[in-house]
Amino acid sequence: MSLKPLPSNTSRFEGCTLTGALSITTSVCNSISVVHGPRGCAHHNFSLLHATALEHDSVVAPVIQSSGLLENEIIFGGEAALERTLARTASLCPACIFVLSTCIADAIGDDAGAVSRMDWGVPVIPVPTGGFLGGVFEKGVNNALCTLSDMAEPCKPEGTINIIGEKNLEYEVEENYTEISRLLSLLGLSMNIRFVHNISNKDISHLGQASLNVLRDPGINPVGNHLKARFGAAYIPSFPYGISGTLQFLEMTAAACGVPLHSALSEEISVQEDVLAGFSDLAGTRIALDERGLASPVSAVVREVAAALKMKVSEDGCRVPVPTDLPVGTAGIHRMLHRWRRVIHA
Amino acid sequence: MPECTNPLWPCAMTGAAACLAGFDGMTVVIHGSSGCYYYPTTLLHAPLYGTFIIEEEVIFGSEQRLLQVIKEVASSGQRIAVVTTCVPSILGEDIRAILASHDVLLVDSPGFSGDFESGYRNALSALEPRVSPKKFGVNIDGVCIFDPFYRGNVRELLRLLSKAKVPVATVFCADSLTRVQEASPFTIGTNSDIASGVGENLGGTLGMKELADTFSRICNVIEGADARPVLQEIASEEDRIIQVCDKFLRRFDPPRVAVFSWASYAAFAADTLRSYLDAEIVCIGTRSTPPPGSSRVFERAEGLSQVQALIENHKPDLILGSSFERPVSGDTAFVGLTPPLRGKVRLGSHPIAGIEGTLGFIEDVLNACMDQHR
Repeated sequence: MSLKPLPSNTSRFEGCTLTGALSITTSVCNSISVVHGPRGCAHHNFSLLHATALEHDSVVAPVIQSSGLLENEIIFGGEAALERTLARTASLCPACIFVLSTCIADAIGDDAGAVSRMDWGVPVIPVPTGGFLGGVFEKGVNNALCTLSDMAEPCKPEGTINIIGEKNLEYEVEENYTEISRLLSLLGLSMNIRFVHNISNKDISHLGQASLNVLRDPGINPVGNHLKARFGAAYIPSFPYGISGTLQFLEMTAAACGVPLHSALSEEISVQEDVLAGFSDLAGTRIALDERGLASPVSAVVREVAAALKMKVSEDGCRVPVPTDLPVGTAGIHRMLHRWRRVIHA
Repeated sequence: MPECTNPLWPCAMTGAAACLAGFDGMTVVIHGSSGCYYYPTTLLHAPLYGTFIIEEEVIFGSEQRLLQVIKEVASSGQRIAVVTTCVPSILGEDIRAILASHDVLLVDSPGFSGDFESGYRNALSALEPRVSPKKFGVNIDGVCIFDPFYRGNVRELLRLLSKAKVPVATVFCADSLTRVQEASPFTIGTNSDIASGVGENLGGTLGMKELADTFSRICNVIEGADARPVLQEIASEEDRIIQVCDKFLRRFDPPRVAVFSWASYAAFAADTLRSYLDAEIVCIGTRSTPPPGSSRVFERAEGLSQVQALIENHKPDLILGSSFERPVSGDTAFVGLTPPLRGKVRLGSHPIAGIEGTLGFIEDVLNACMDQHR
């Protein structure tokens, strides 16, 4: 139970920059991430990533090396420990090494960037982190995405689409990707790379080949802008949410890519009608929505779905689960409605 | 070398939080950033609080923020414990002086100061447990909310002690806070790696032999205690174990076993499998420091690369460990023994201690081994 967030200091509660950055760097399959700090920081994050991998039915655990700072290094400096760790990590011959600092390493003034710039025989890329001293979780994600994007050189766009900044710790990350792929295929568009989700460093070099970037959510707009400046590709600021939002996503994407919209739109409207028809038994049901702490777009999407099914929202209704992360596309609505029906029929 | 690949064991801060959060009546505040708060919270499933300090407080001091949080949580009326994390512990603030006018227990346990066990012991020591000479019964120790078997262990020992007509005094560390000061002069253990050191240690409860010895000792010091029903149950259940293990050995070779766990759990598993299945224990990798003077050969396995190397070298056909070991076990039979055990739904209270603990352990091992042959 955390204390209630203070409006002026919501950043207190938004998690660690290191965790955000590691959620990206550990998704580069042939790389190793080095965490410069006490073992505990690496363990906390490895444990989280490992648990997430298990939830995603993956048996591949990311490799995280810890420089293992102890009290001695905290007093006398930890750069030598980082050097030892990088030497050992480089000897494993990964395609590249990402170096991420922690709040304690930053607090004692270790220069992880300078150590990274030494000749290690493999590319060593420092990612600005620094635990809570470096910002919050989202800042770590954005810093990592921008740093990794600089590994790619600008090249000629080939009309494909990049998915940018998938939430790799999200339980439904694969299902959300499948839905975006389905929507893009309606427009006859194909995927370039998932930046960054289970890709190699070589895949990253193709980043500039896409004509359009689809961002996971508006929190990574700085990354969208960075990619636009570097590669010239426009971006869609978010995955689609809600009934009308999904149709708008198709419209925006078609316009950005200069492809015909009409048949894709008709097909998706038909899919949405089928989904809603499957839940027509919920029409007239009174439901209550616990919207405390929810962002207004979440409420709007949820209420749109309820209205489409002619459900009545009232305080004395059946309390249905409201997702903290919006359901993505029509498939997301479909899954949310199954959860609603389970509660209503319970 | 402290450097490590994929460290598998939590830090001292988490150990301290695990100890303190096991007591009802204790409000635990993690003094640090949100990142340091979220990990123990998700791992321990305990109601922890945090100061969630930010850069501003690192530069200008965290006193105001800490006091603000203390004031807010004080309304619960519970005892408050503050556990410091890495950055606050090096800020140079005199946190003890800051908290001097409040009834707050301070546990300085930054992650860089050591491992889980050192933080656990540090916190327990800060609680200043006391033995009450007239307290009747025995304490149970080695109980930790980090351990997926902790609830099962407590229930099993309550059952067995009740059968022996022995009341339970204090459970270290999953009990009411008030009982910390009213411990019995006698203690039995479930996990010697996190023994409390409170009272006279009458022995452990891992494995049938150790359990029988411990209950015999209990009868020597607790008036009215009757170990016979427990010893009878041990004898009859051990017969059942021998029967199923013998049947297993009629068809299959004994397993070659690699064990990764706390030293005490690992020793229990190794002894049990040797005893009933004539198993070959090819390696024992411990997360914690092995007990001094131990005759067993322990190797430290604190990182995943060490675990992988041991598995690669010894090629076991049964691996006991945590969910970290499971993915690197490949097609080898696996049984969960060590926290964390993720990726599997667990609702029941399974013990590893006591009679039911050994029965459940043998059951899991035999089923895992037989599944490999199907």
